[in-house]
Amino acid sequence: MDVFEKLKILSDAAKYDVSCSSSGSNRKSKKEGLGNASVSGICHSWSDDGRCISLLKILFTNDCIYNCVYCINRCTNDLPRAMFTPEEVADLTINFYKRNYIEGLFLSSAVYRNPNYTMELLGKTVKKLREEQNFNGYIHLKAIPGADKEIIEKAGMYADRMSVNIELPSSEGLRSLAPQKNKESILRPMNFINSRMHQSIEEIKTFKYAEKFVPAGQTTQLIVGATRDDDLKILKLSEGLYKGYKLKRVYYSAYVPVTNSPNLPAISSPPFLRENRLYQADWLLRFYGYNADELLDESKPNFDLEIDPKCDWALRNINLFPVEINKADYNMLLRIPGIGVKSAMRIVSARKFASLDFDHLRKLGVVLKRAKYFITCKGKYYGLKTMDGENIRKHLVSEIKGKESTNGIEQLSIFSLYPNLIINNNKTIVTGAFQ
Amino acid sequence: MIYYIYDGSFDGILTAIYDAYYRRETPEKIVSEDDFQESFLINKIYIKTDREKADKVYNAIETKISNQALKNVFYVYLSERTDRGTIIYHYLKLGWKIGIDIDLNLTNNNVLLLQNICQSVSKERHFMLGLVRFRELKNNILYAPIEPEYNVIGLIGQHFSNRISNENWIIHDVNRNIAAIYNKQEWIVIELEMNPTIELHKDEETYQRLWKEYFNNISIKNKVNPRLQKRNMPMKYWKYLIEK
Repeated sequence: MDVFEKLKILSDAAKYDVSCSSSGSNRKSKKEGLGNASVSGICHSWSDDGRCISLLKILFTNDCIYNCVYCINRCTNDLPRAMFTPEEVADLTINFYKRNYIEGLFLSSAVYRNPNYTMELLGKTVKKLREEQNFNGYIHLKAIPGADKEIIEKAGMYADRMSVNIELPSSEGLRSLAPQKNKESILRPMNFINSRMHQSIEEIKTFKYAEKFVPAGQTTQLIVGATRDDDLKILKLSEGLYKGYKLKRVYYSAYVPVTNSPNLPAISSPPFLRENRLYQADWLLRFYGYNADELLDESKPNFDLEIDPKCDWALRNINLFPVEINKADYNMLLRIPGIGVKSAMRIVSARKFASLDFDHLRKLGVVLKRAKYFITCKGKYYGLKTMDGENIRKHLVSEIKGKESTNGIEQLSIFSLYPNLIINNNKTIVTGAFQ
Repeated sequence: MIYYIYDGSFDGILTAIYDAYYRRETPEKIVSEDDFQESFLINKIYIKTDREKADKVYNAIETKISNQALKNVFYVYLSERTDRGTIIYHYLKLGWKIGIDIDLNLTNNNVLLLQNICQSVSKERHFMLGLVRFRELKNNILYAPIEPEYNVIGLIGQHFSNRISNENWIIHDVNRNIAAIYNKQEWIVIELEMNPTIELHKDEETYQRLWKEYFNNISIKNKVNPRLQKRNMPMKYWKYLIEK
């Protein structure tokens, strides 16, 4: 099989892995070497579905011993299999990188033979890139659950970021859909990567030349909608991972049905809107100072699909509004729907010189369509006649609906998403969908 | 109504600002000779670019306002807008008064305008870091043609000299006939017109095909969203992209 064919199969198999970030590392170029990581990350292209491309995102192989029922690569699925050699991956990475197509490599893999064997192959590939090719671009490497920690550590010495995919948010989910995996096999490498990272940070403080271990941190990915887990449970899990395991990012991926199984929910379309709400809430946890408990609770364990989590929070706490733009502190400004980090910072600096009115806000780029219900400028309110949560909600929902219909965020049915995937009698027939 | 006319150089603008201060004049506009249009009502004053005067203003911006202000002024110059001289003049006049906090004063229309221009220039600079596409030539030199809206080539050379330090490369601003060139040691900006019949390396086509293959494969079919794609990657940059 030539490298074109392999690239076709193994990039196709990797495209549902949602991680794309290339930020957080400042690996410096070396003399006679290729590559230099940028702390802020750089997108090099945007694919036809609008997602950014910054890394060569591929699987080393899609030939898997596991049979996780939600996964396209499970061993009982009949689809073309391929496997790169370390040389091929290194050659593609170097040649794409020097033409400035990419920021680096994202290397994942199905579990081939056994976890240790697979992890060793991944390690061999990144070692080749770093030591033989003198490559200093970004490398995001998957840690294979179940592999020994010595092998993970060896490979991690060459990576900027590592991730272990949790996939299913609960032990019950794993038991029914991925019986060959368990919570411990996932948390163990995560825990190990975390403590090894901290050890390396300490070593660097003492020894200038101590080696960095995954300097850009670790991330994970969760599948949403394949199990019964509600949003509250998922968000609490993310919160715990950010606090306890110091994760850099948690990615969410709407469950895309690729097979029929009595253990899987029968859904007509992937829950993309739910995925989107989780990303919005995740953002609120990381950059806006919210707790999971503020956004959801036992009486309301799932996000409102009509309205984003920040608006929803504001409406449930309408007694805190309206907020006077010229007086509120930065943290409170961040809690106003329509005001993001950039707007809040611009407001704080501009009001040092003049007290702001509605027109100023417009010029500063604040999204007033949403904010106007929640603010006063110099004491003047621009929203509805009364501060009535229900009424404001109606207005917001109608505005969002108008916007979404033109934006094409409507949920697609599974058949329009995968016209070539016909599900029939518990057996998936793949007809040319994977070219 | 006084107009100051300068030669189009960055030092020219700085000299004009120096002269306005010491002549105790308030010019209505500071325009480059290329952008100037004759009119009866205008009292023209031609500014002779003077390196010493320019240096004084340059240092004054750095010490009396801030490094950031200096960067802002340079970015506005690179925007090549016809009103850039005047915008810089008003910004600096206010800057002498306010000092380091000038950039916080976003209720001032000129400051806001200047910041928005700087943002557009930085944004294009950042786009170029990702969207430059090198082609390997027969003699192993990497060559990338670009057509940016603003004159950002001087702002990206350092990035690529760190990144691709073990190759010879050329980034060519086709419209302005200038290029950043690098010889594995250092990079400079020079005037350049390329021979249109350049020959590619024998492997170049293979990697271009592999990249196109990857690009097409990585997008989720039937979830295509050309509007989102164009918003993130404006079509004006597609001309030299291998994948488009």
